[in-house]
Amino acid sequence: MPISVDEKAAALASLPLFQGASDESLARLCNVTGEVEYSAGQFVVRQGQVGSGLYLIVSGAARVVSGSHELATLGPGDFFGELTVIDQQPRTASVQATQDTVCLAVASWDLLDLLKSDSALALNLIRGLAARVRSNAEHHRH
Amino acid sequence: MAELEERPFPPGEYPVVVVGSGPGGLQTSYFLRRLGIEHAVLSADKSAGGMFRQFPFFQRLLSWTKPFGHLDRHDRRYEWYDWNSLLAVEPENRAIMAELMDGSSSFPSRPEMEQNLATYAQRTGLQVRYGCRWESTRREGNGFALGTSDGEYRCRVAVFAVGVAEPWKPDTPGFEDVAHYVDTREAASYAGKRLFIAGKQNSGFELATGLLPWAQRIVLASPRPAKLSVNTHSLLGVRARYVQPVEDEVLGGGVFILNASIDRVERTVDGFRVHCLRSEGGTELTVEADEVIAATGFTSPLLDLPELGVSVFGQSRLPSMTNFWESAQVPGIYFAGTIGQGVPGMKKYGLPSNSGAVHGGRYNARIMVDHLARTHFGHRPERVQLPLDGLVDYLLEEVTHAPELWNQKSYLARAVSLDEQAGPYDDGIVPLAHFVDEEGPPAVAITVETDDKGSIHPAVYVRERGRPAVETLLDPHPLHDFRTPDHRRRLADLLKGATAGAVR
Amino acid sequence: MALSPQQLVDTLSGLTLFADLSRPQLEQVAHKMSEESFPEGQRILRQGFTGSGFYVILDGEVAIRIDGNEVARLAKGDFFGEMSVLLGEPPVADVVALRQLHALHLGGPELEGFLSEHPTVMFRMLKTVAMRLRNASRWRS
Repeated sequence: MPISVDEKAAALASLPLFQGASDESLARLCNVTGEVEYSAGQFVVRQGQVGSGLYLIVSGAARVVSGSHELATLGPGDFFGELTVIDQQPRTASVQATQDTVCLAVASWDLLDLLKSDSALALNLIRGLAARVRSNAEHHRH
Repeated sequence: MAELEERPFPPGEYPVVVVGSGPGGLQTSYFLRRLGIEHAVLSADKSAGGMFRQFPFFQRLLSWTKPFGHLDRHDRRYEWYDWNSLLAVEPENRAIMAELMDGSSSFPSRPEMEQNLATYAQRTGLQVRYGCRWESTRREGNGFALGTSDGEYRCRVAVFAVGVAEPWKPDTPGFEDVAHYVDTREAASYAGKRLFIAGKQNSGFELATGLLPWAQRIVLASPRPAKLSVNTHSLLGVRARYVQPVEDEVLGGGVFILNASIDRVERTVDGFRVHCLRSEGGTELTVEADEVIAATGFTSPLLDLPELGVSVFGQSRLPSMTNFWESAQVPGIYFAGTIGQGVPGMKKYGLPSNSGAVHGGRYNARIMVDHLARTHFGHRPERVQLPLDGLVDYLLEEVTHAPELWNQKSYLARAVSLDEQAGPYDDGIVPLAHFVDEEGPPAVAITVETDDKGSIHPAVYVRERGRPAVETLLDPHPLHDFRTPDHRRRLADLLKGATAGAVR
Repeated sequence: MALSPQQLVDTLSGLTLFADLSRPQLEQVAHKMSEESFPEGQRILRQGFTGSGFYVILDGEVAIRIDGNEVARLAKGDFFGEMSVLLGEPPVADVVALRQLHALHLGGPELEGFLSEHPTVMFRMLKTVAMRLRNASRWRS
């Protein structure tokens, strides 16, 4: 079930990370976004790995595990990996597919290149991250 | 003999010593006298006027006085139209600038401004010891001892209104051979010359404007693009009066405005070779010039005050101050005049105050003197009680007309304390940053603000007991008249919580 | 603390945020941003107030307080104010000088253009914001 370019663009545009990004930025992002399939039980990323990319689940399901602890479960529309791409720190948790799962993936180096050359996209990403820091701060207040 | 006797303030002991006879020094002395605080005023100059005795070169000021505002010149509200007169309580001593203008421009000429200040000093009976140069400072007892060319002055409080007028040049190689703005000669002597001006602030553009009819070519350079006041919606940037060179550049008329840093200046047989690095791309660019002028700014001549502990910052070496213009490190040392711009205030949207100009600094001086009198001389300010049912109208009248609020937007505010028992008391005009950071009884402050879109509107800060002030912006009005039913309703709502105790 | 332009540029070149800039670019930053000084106890950003700006600390220390409770401290080389400016919302915290603060300031409306002119500064900022978020949402990384 290949994903069309339009579907890809729509899926990326729906991510809070890229909300408000220009059409040009999204088109560039689409060009470097691949589609990867995982069968149930396969690891998408492993704890300790240096960030290899940003992933967005299109279909299927996965769980987030650290050691033997399950931290969260993920489904279509969920994304992960953007922070390690930016700061190149090792991943602090693994993500394992629990069903056959399809992800959109942007390789770390492609996203970095894009962020360094596309200031509008980088600005947008800062905004997205800032909004999340802020909602954490708001959360902290209550 | 008679002449010697006429020199006031011989060396000795005074409660307060004011240094400087520019607008800041004169305004400070005026309000000290009103409060009956004895003081000496010392000035190295020969007569009143400060920097306006010499600058600006090209004859007209950047600040307007409109002799025909719609209000009587002796009305407080007229101060909004008159940026150059000093403040006075007596109607006959107000708006002196407006009397002296010949009608050829709304911007007074330099000699007119000098005359304005001299007339003010004379009519209000201010005295200054001219020709007395402040040379050194040390702590003595609870106060200070100021060494001067005439001898030593001891005081509890010292006010320095010495301006930001000490020429400053960067230590770029070759700049030692370059003239500073203050060294500019008669315009005609630049006839046919290729001129290079380092600096793109008002002083650089003033020279470029003044020399347009004379120079063969003018290059202005500094690392960042020039800002224009009409774009920044503030006094930040090049003022409209000096924008002509920008138009000349745009039309290719022999003016060049470069974004470049100056790497070094080389002397040649008949002039200079200026080596620049362009800000975009960092490529080198060499400009040949007959004359180079550094319009690179000024510093504040604070002499040995840093050795007393006064910390200074920035290229202009301004002192670090509290919101009442007192040294943040050395209580008892105050600053007036253009130095006051070192207190940033709220700086909303990055817009600076007008403290560096007469129309801002004159209000700062009044507030500073009140603060000095209260904290160092135990003065209790007179407090005026306000009727609770007239509070909303009073605040909206103030925000529509108060010259303090219009000349110092987001910086000075009208504050009223809302005492539960006694009802509202007028706390006068206060620094907004102080009001919003201060803990105290329930109170309200109103001010005029502008934003990045250029909208001008009232802002209300309401402080309920034990809580920080809450900001609310009111709507703008096309004619800046905020006394509308909508504004009244909105303000009354805002005051409900804070005045709850006052409504019996 | 009064720095000559040369010293200011040297100081800037030592701050992580500006680590990738060339000398002419650093000079431009020094010209573009204004130096400010705040006494101890003064608020620099105010929770809930409009029109805030962006600051880079040159010397001193600040506390970040939400509803009066300290949540973090920042010192030389750290920056603050970018989140509310970029989100176009008032700050959700106070930033208070714990001792005399010497900072570079950029008016809010100028920040976006400034970052676009200096993509490497933007990328460094992005990293810092990512780090701040990381603590709060570890598994995502």
